[in-house]
Amino acid sequence: MKIPYILFICISLKASLVFAQIPEGFVPLFNGQDLDGWHISRTSHQGTTGNFYVDNGVLTAKQNPFGQGSVLLTDKKYADFELYIEAKIDSFCNGGIFIRSTESAQAYQIELILPGKTGALLGEAMQISQSADARDMERVWKADDWNSFRIRMTGAIPTITLWINDVMMWEVTQPKNDFTAGAVSGMIGLQLHWSATYQALPGGFNMPGAWRPEGAHRFRNIGIKNLSEK
Amino acid sequence: MINITSRIIVVLIISTATIFSAWGQKTITNSIGMELILIAPGNMMVGEFKPPYVVPEDTVKDAKHPIIMAMGEGRGYSTREFELARQMATADSKPGFKVAIKRPYYIGKYEVTQGQWKKVMGSNPSTFKSDDTDDLPVESITWDQAQAFVAALNKMEKTRRYRLPTEFEWEYAARSGRTGDIPWPEIQKSANLNKKTTLRVGEMAPNAWGLYDVLGNVWEWVEDYYNEKMFADPVPKKNGNQHVLKGASFTGDVKNATYMTHAAGPGNGWDIGLRILMEK
Repeated sequence: MKIPYILFICISLKASLVFAQIPEGFVPLFNGQDLDGWHISRTSHQGTTGNFYVDNGVLTAKQNPFGQGSVLLTDKKYADFELYIEAKIDSFCNGGIFIRSTESAQAYQIELILPGKTGALLGEAMQISQSADARDMERVWKADDWNSFRIRMTGAIPTITLWINDVMMWEVTQPKNDFTAGAVSGMIGLQLHWSATYQALPGGFNMPGAWRPEGAHRFRNIGIKNLSEK
Repeated sequence: MINITSRIIVVLIISTATIFSAWGQKTITNSIGMELILIAPGNMMVGEFKPPYVVPEDTVKDAKHPIIMAMGEGRGYSTREFELARQMATADSKPGFKVAIKRPYYIGKYEVTQGQWKKVMGSNPSTFKSDDTDDLPVESITWDQAQAFVAALNKMEKTRRYRLPTEFEWEYAARSGRTGDIPWPEIQKSANLNKKTTLRVGEMAPNAWGLYDVLGNVWEWVEDYYNEKMFADPVPKKNGNQHVLKGASFTGDVKNATYMTHAAGPGNGWDIGLRILMEK
């Protein structure tokens, strides 16, 4: 009886540690056990099957099969929100955090790439009016470790703010709504970039540097504060 | 005598040529002004997956691409990574499977337009619509609405049988005899991609059998259920939660605007349309 009780304490402690790190007022988006509440985009140009899985309580993205990427999306859409997420990213793997994503993964994107412009605001599968770059990353970023991202997005013409490890990186108000059909809400997404086509193509090219073989992006402590409900 | 024989031979040659050119190119126009192209039977390989991997020297050449630049100009695979890429690409490769298209059929030369949809259904569900958008593809339709359109058209015409193409019928017509995947410069010429809206049907270059916009513009519903795999199964599923979409849309790019892409709905809605088949 004693051993199971200790095990129970350990499991409870582990579970509470995982959830304890989501800031107060945020609702967990990831339960640490499975991908309940998430789905794969079946129409993303990154790939349609994707390889997202939970490994030891961590949401993990890794190419499988070779060269095919994907986008994992929340089942729910959010309009005005604040997102908290911790990421640990291998170098030479191009990923990103998508906000207000459509089902085929058009979105504003917080870039995740090392070396490169991690923390930059970019468009995925759409042109955005104004991009932004993270600053002071040499001081703020913890190499080979977990880093926290807090992203706030509000307004039909969106204002987006990014904090990395609690340091504000930028705040951008777009001059217009950049979405096709003027979407004012969308899903949270995680990008696993493609790096090879189905077959070799004359006249085309591939992106071998977009995802290093066996490289992974890892996420934990994902929570959201729905600001539209206030 | 010689002259008459020569004339007969010439006539025979011309007739034969006409028959051959008509086979696969014959077009009919139905009661709502929809043009359909006759597709002859044949075979194709589906799902052949041989992802390329590059030696480090090739990566250096690709360094001009902005994303590669962002990662460090000239950065190639290490020897270990190259070996891993080779192993993964080889292990994941699939030979594909042969599909026989046994019966001829007619398939829409264009995606179904908003004007045609209105003639059959009396309404227009499209997002990108105004007074002058009859030639834009209809979009914002579910698979069930696509089936309702086909049923209504069958009821209107009575003598012909229309339906959604199967994924294999769609892909066979889209490939138009091509065995390998499509070079990107060709996709750019034939597909409305990387845009914010749909384009009037038929504005881009047709494929070898005369079909327009099979790639780009709007995703096209097919009959099949989705198997949640990268490619179709040799024997398609008989049930499931989603249906297959083919051809990508104006939001796509050269990566997924290929007839090999095996996608599924519901997608975005506003870039989901259809192309229909008429049985011969």
